Amino acid sequence: MDLSDLIDVPAIMPGLKANSKKQLLQLLAERAASITGIPEREIFDTVLQRERLGSTGVGNGIAIPHGKLAGVKHITGVFARLETPVDFEALDDEPVDLVFLLLAPEGAGADHLKALSKIARVLRDSDTVAKVRGTSDAAAIHTLLSDTQGSKAA
Amino acid sequence: MDQSVYLVTLMGTALVLAAAFSSLIAFRFGAPLLLLFLGLGLAAGTDGLGIDFDNARLAYFVGALALAVILFESGFGTPLTALRQAAPAALSLATLGVVITTLLFGVAGRYLTGFGWLESFLLGAAVASTDAAAVFFLLRAGNLQLRDRVRSTLEIESGSNDPIAIFLTITLVEVIAAGADPDAEVLLLDLVAGFVMHMGVGAIIGLVGGVAIVRLVGRLNLDHGLLPIFVLTLSLLVFAAGGAFGGSGFLAVYLAGLVAGNSSIRSAASLKRFQEGVAWLAQIIMFLVLGLFATPSQFLPILPASVALGLFLIFVARPVAVWLCLIPFHFPRQETAFVSWVGLRGAVSILLAITPLLGGLEDGRAIFNTAFIVVLVSLVVQGWTVGPLARRLGLIVPQRIGPLEKVELELPGSAHHDLLAYTVVAGSPVARGERIPRWARPSLVVRGGRSMKYQETGRLIAGDHVYIFVSDRYPRLLDRLFASRTEVSPDDADFFGEFTVDPRGSAAELEANYGAGVSEAEKRLTIGQLMRQRLGGHAEYADRLPLGTIELIVRDVDDDGKIVSVGLSLEPAPAVTNIPAFLSPAELIDRIRAMFRRPAPQVSEGTPVAKPAEHTGA
Repeated sequence: MDLSDLIDVPAIMPGLKANSKKQLLQLLAERAASITGIPEREIFDTVLQRERLGSTGVGNGIAIPHGKLAGVKHITGVFARLETPVDFEALDDEPVDLVFLLLAPEGAGADHLKALSKIARVLRDSDTVAKVRGTSDAAAIHTLLSDTQGSKAA
Repeated sequence: MDQSVYLVTLMGTALVLAAAFSSLIAFRFGAPLLLLFLGLGLAAGTDGLGIDFDNARLAYFVGALALAVILFESGFGTPLTALRQAAPAALSLATLGVVITTLLFGVAGRYLTGFGWLESFLLGAAVASTDAAAVFFLLRAGNLQLRDRVRSTLEIESGSNDPIAIFLTITLVEVIAAGADPDAEVLLLDLVAGFVMHMGVGAIIGLVGGVAIVRLVGRLNLDHGLLPIFVLTLSLLVFAAGGAFGGSGFLAVYLAGLVAGNSSIRSAASLKRFQEGVAWLAQIIMFLVLGLFATPSQFLPILPASVALGLFLIFVARPVAVWLCLIPFHFPRQETAFVSWVGLRGAVSILLAITPLLGGLEDGRAIFNTAFIVVLVSLVVQGWTVGPLARRLGLIVPQRIGPLEKVELELPGSAHHDLLAYTVVAGSPVARGERIPRWARPSLVVRGGRSMKYQETGRLIAGDHVYIFVSDRYPRLLDRLFASRTEVSPDDADFFGEFTVDPRGSAAELEANYGAGVSEAEKRLTIGQLMRQRLGGHAEYADRLPLGTIELIVRDVDDDGKIVSVGLSLEPAPAVTNIPAFLSPAELIDRIRAMFRRPAPQVSEGTPVAKPAEHTGA
């Protein structure tokens, strides 16, 4: 699986501004709504529900909020790079500036988990992450996320 | 006369110093330290520098005393929590394990060497006990942090199997020396009766002795310098009393150490330090003396058979014994494999192999030499591979907290309070503004050479020295506050999973998000409760619980054993090496069944399993 299967250039927000975790999730949900056609509210609620199970902030300023929704046709990603990091209640208490939102169809099962772990692996590569942080161009970020060493290891 | 005093002291100190220096080398290269000590002894002995030491009685005497010291220290340093966690498994290994190893090794010995049946079993008994020091030095040198249960099991096994192996060996020596060829039945009955008696008396004397030591230390107001010597002497007294009353002195001294170490004995910290030192010295002396006593030039003729026996012990006898002994305890396969590999043989086996010489057995010298080579094989083969194997099997757990600068100061007249001196390190929670709980408010803070009250300092900064006066039962929380940050390295993410979940979260929610295969009844539980239930009521740091296609990992438990942090892995560790051996009985039955029913229907995925631990490597 390649991350470019999950995310298109229009789904990347390279210079997002948000003041809080809640606002950040709202903005992500808004963009996801415009891509999938599902009401923003529904997406936001689903993702927030998952956050109650524990923050999806995985450390080092990265968060991967996710959830399953009946209306989603295929696994869909939205990515945001924040101008200024916001607190995401992450395990390491570091504020978050790179966020990958992943929505999956209700029955996605193993594919959903595979996609999640793939994203986690790509965003664990400090080289990729540094480069993503260094650019504010959506297409460039898309390329960086798509062809990383991680895709070979998968 | 006085010249010989100097000469002997000179040689003795030179050897001990050489051994002490070699420990530095061993730390650097991860070589089995005891092998070095033994090598030094050999190098200085008859076939090396030519120190002619051939006094079996003296070698045994020195070795036995040294072993008593080591066992007391080992007991003293074993915390009750470890005992609770691992005692049943460890005792099974120490009793049944020793017997099975002895029998298997005896049978192999009978056919590989020219010894008779009894002598072969005698040899088996001698090499049946494991050596803790060897293992734990290696783990410490490699900075390997093992899972608690594995560590405790190995530690307690190695401490408690010595008395049993000693009993078996000495009994067999006596039987052979008596010259009678006894009925197997009579022999067995005698053995069992003698064993119960021997261990019973030893245990009682040990327990009573331990309590007496604690009482005496509390009652007598001895000088600080004298106290450790006093305790050491008392422990040897318990050892001697145990033996004199027909019990096992070794069991007695081990138990006395266990009791004393787990009572709130006065000056526990300095006693512990002293004992560690003495135990080191005892180790060194024991190995040096045994090395001196051996004569390598006699090894050659028996070398092939002995090496074969050593390998048989490593690859057959010990694994079978461990596997059988651990069946009731549901150890995951990797842990069983590791426990079996870490059956390092050491000084005790060599020491026991002297007893046939003392008993005047015809084959005494040959038995000693064979046992010596078996120990060497074990130290070389297993000793060198313990660290890599632990890593391969995924038994190494990441450090719980980062490095810490802490000194414990002992207070006169109080066994229940400690003065802890922490140095604040950059990046630690306190330096980042975390508050210190009220019960641990610092009595004093020293900053830049000036002492001040905690109320005056404001936020603590790196380099501050903080003095805290607390009850000695302070929770680990305090250490955590002052520890520098643990690196969340990629390895840790592999180990602990990509995400975290709140153990207070609901299991139903987990099911909804990840399809974790949670049953209807379990959906009412919190995630923490679910994990504890599936893990058999007891969760430990780094325990893993496969649930459907995900895996939950215990990231942390509090002092009451409650799960406080949980990791979620999306790709249940494929890294775990699959070992074909050490199947649990259920797995064994499954495989046999599968052999008869070719198109065997596989167990459907996601069915709740009663003991998930067994399925980790399946």
